[in-house]
Amino acid sequence: MRAVATTDRAGTGPRRAGGASEEAPPAPRRRRPRWPRRPGTRGRLRLLAALALALVAALFAATHLALERARDGLDVIGHGEGRKVVATADLYFALSDMDAQMANVLLLGAEHDLGAGRDAALERYGDRRADANRALLHAAQLAAGDPVEEQNVWAVMDGMNTYERLVAEARLLNDADDDPAGPPSQDVIERYREAADLMRRDLLPKAYNLTLDSGATVRSTYEENSAAATAGIGLVAAAAAALVAVLVVLQLFLRRRFRRRHNIPLALATAGVLVLGLAAVAMLQRQSELLRSAKEDGLESVLALSRARAISTGMNADQSRWLMDPEHAATYEQNFLEDAQTVVFLVPEDGDVPGNLRGYTTEVTAAVPRHDDYPGRMLGLLGEEIATGGGEAETRAQQRTLRTFAAFLRADERMRDIAREGDTAAAVDAHITGPDSVEAVFADYEEALIDLTDLHLTTFDSSVDQAEDHLAGWNAGVIAACGAFALLIAAGVRPRLAEYR
Amino acid sequence: MRLRHLACAAVLAVALPACAVTAGEHASILDAQTLRIGVKGDQPGLGLRTGVDTYAGFDVDVAYYIAGELGVAREDVEFVQVTSEEREDVLIDDEVDLVLATYSITQLRKTVVNFGGPYYVARQDILVRADNTDIQGVEDLAGRKLCQGAGSNSANRIIEERGIDAQRVERATYSECIDLLAVGVVDAVSTDDLILAGYLAEAPSAFRLVGEPFTSEKYGIGVAKEDVAGCEAVNRAVTQMYQDGTASRLLDKWFGDTGLDLVRTVPQFEGCG
Repeated sequence: MRAVATTDRAGTGPRRAGGASEEAPPAPRRRRPRWPRRPGTRGRLRLLAALALALVAALFAATHLALERARDGLDVIGHGEGRKVVATADLYFALSDMDAQMANVLLLGAEHDLGAGRDAALERYGDRRADANRALLHAAQLAAGDPVEEQNVWAVMDGMNTYERLVAEARLLNDADDDPAGPPSQDVIERYREAADLMRRDLLPKAYNLTLDSGATVRSTYEENSAAATAGIGLVAAAAAALVAVLVVLQLFLRRRFRRRHNIPLALATAGVLVLGLAAVAMLQRQSELLRSAKEDGLESVLALSRARAISTGMNADQSRWLMDPEHAATYEQNFLEDAQTVVFLVPEDGDVPGNLRGYTTEVTAAVPRHDDYPGRMLGLLGEEIATGGGEAETRAQQRTLRTFAAFLRADERMRDIAREGDTAAAVDAHITGPDSVEAVFADYEEALIDLTDLHLTTFDSSVDQAEDHLAGWNAGVIAACGAFALLIAAGVRPRLAEYR
Repeated sequence: MRLRHLACAAVLAVALPACAVTAGEHASILDAQTLRIGVKGDQPGLGLRTGVDTYAGFDVDVAYYIAGELGVAREDVEFVQVTSEEREDVLIDDEVDLVLATYSITQLRKTVVNFGGPYYVARQDILVRADNTDIQGVEDLAGRKLCQGAGSNSANRIIEERGIDAQRVERATYSECIDLLAVGVVDAVSTDDLILAGYLAEAPSAFRLVGEPFTSEKYGIGVAKEDVAGCEAVNRAVTQMYQDGTASRLLDKWFGDTGLDLVRTVPQFEGCG
């Protein structure tokens, strides 16, 4: 800033007599100031006015920048990556359900009127394939620019083609057999086993990892954003505080040097800056809070529950495989238990984690009435959601989900008991037909899980909407307010400067 | 003077939130120039101490690969021998940066550490003497002597959870179990197939893997609980390791001759955080 090198001309400038303050000019008897470049009253007035105007510009820049950052954060989490991550989470479910439906199609053989039936399973298979393709498209967009992830997307696409070829062959063989419901012929089983292995060993892990990686992208974007937002709030607060201080100094300076009690425009500007500064900081903090809620209470729960749904679908498929392929039944049962424990993992108070399916089913059933005060630890994708709790609607939805999950496990136990007694046809029946069948109970559980997911999706949407509403009008407001501050400062200082003309 | 105070206040106001941000961060393996990696020292094929500070095995090679992907050169990797019981503590106490020590991911362990990977999903299998043809599956263990290492749950899984009436023999380590198996004191040893394959690779003609796997043991890479970004980077490294064929090559190098059914596609990750 330019220092104005003018000396005081005694009598021409209104000066308080006997100024003893720090800013006091040199003693009147001294003809030349000791420090020739030290500015005089006019110079200081100009300097302070210029400083105030510069700080108005700084306040404008800081607020504008913080608003832009808040808007970027909302765009990425609320509309861009966040949305796509939700879409990729569907990929795993779609693939997993394709496989579950195909297992049903093969198990049902030529019987067209059992339960939901073969045609319904085929139709659902087609829908899921379309979902999978759509989700892959989103995953490809999210992976763009990351060669490792791009290759992963390609591998899933290739794998899907191979899988479809294998199940098409299995179906052709199965149709040629024209068997009634029950385990299909060995050829069909072998072809399907190959397809199911590809799905389980290769495709599903890759699909799951894609979802995890896009979740990681959202997390790192969010963290960068929230660090930047905190720094932005600090800058706005600092600029506003500095401006208020300079305006107060200016006010005091005018009072001393020009014997003015109040300078109305400057007082207005000071009040305005205080209001804008406080409002901006409060609004930006609210933005961070809403974005955090959108991510933690919304997106992260949606992702965890989508994974729980996808894994549950895999459990459902493992039941069909268990019935269809007795030779590998032990493996499918173990897969079922491990998947169930990924969804809800219970550590009873005595620390004795149930190690087999029967013990696990008993423990989950026992936990249902005590979902909010389970004496041990409730872990796993759904378990942690339940343990975290939430609002009234969420708690109720969580309780319903756990209750239907337990019912699904008990229906599974009944089906396995029937099959173990040697009556495969009755077991297939218990699996597929009637209101108490595994399929019907699973549908209840799935619906509860979807409703719970939707609650979190609503939290996500409403947080993003609220944050957007809060931002509306701020750009114009900040321009108008800062313009007004500049004009008020000019209006407050100009008449005093004019006294020197 | 007043202006100077104001300037100080302004600097403080700007700097404080910035300080608050840096204070919350834990040292991430992403910024590491050197890495301390916990491995087993007594597990042939996986982590075996071969000299004063040298180790060899599948876990060790995977550790070198991940370190490389994290930008740490081979010579800047320091291996630390850990026992099964120590694995959580060394991560929590920041004595090591990573743990690759046949470290199965469990829901309980996930509450105290982060797991990158799994880099391989091992399954529980059964090892018998090569001349034993009677044992073809887990059901054939009824009435047989089954050895398990101390602190392991493998025999309980068969006897209690599967309800198979085998006779449990317990020894301090699996190496001792293998010695008992070789001399015929026990009939079978059951634990993770990779561990069994490691022993088998040392004496291919003495033993036979039954090859009827049950249960999944997801071998994870232990990372500090706070280091979510580091854990995600480890996952990217594991993905890369499978994509560029290194994983397949390493599996062949250590277990190729054992007849084990090796899975050469990337496992389903556990997720960080």
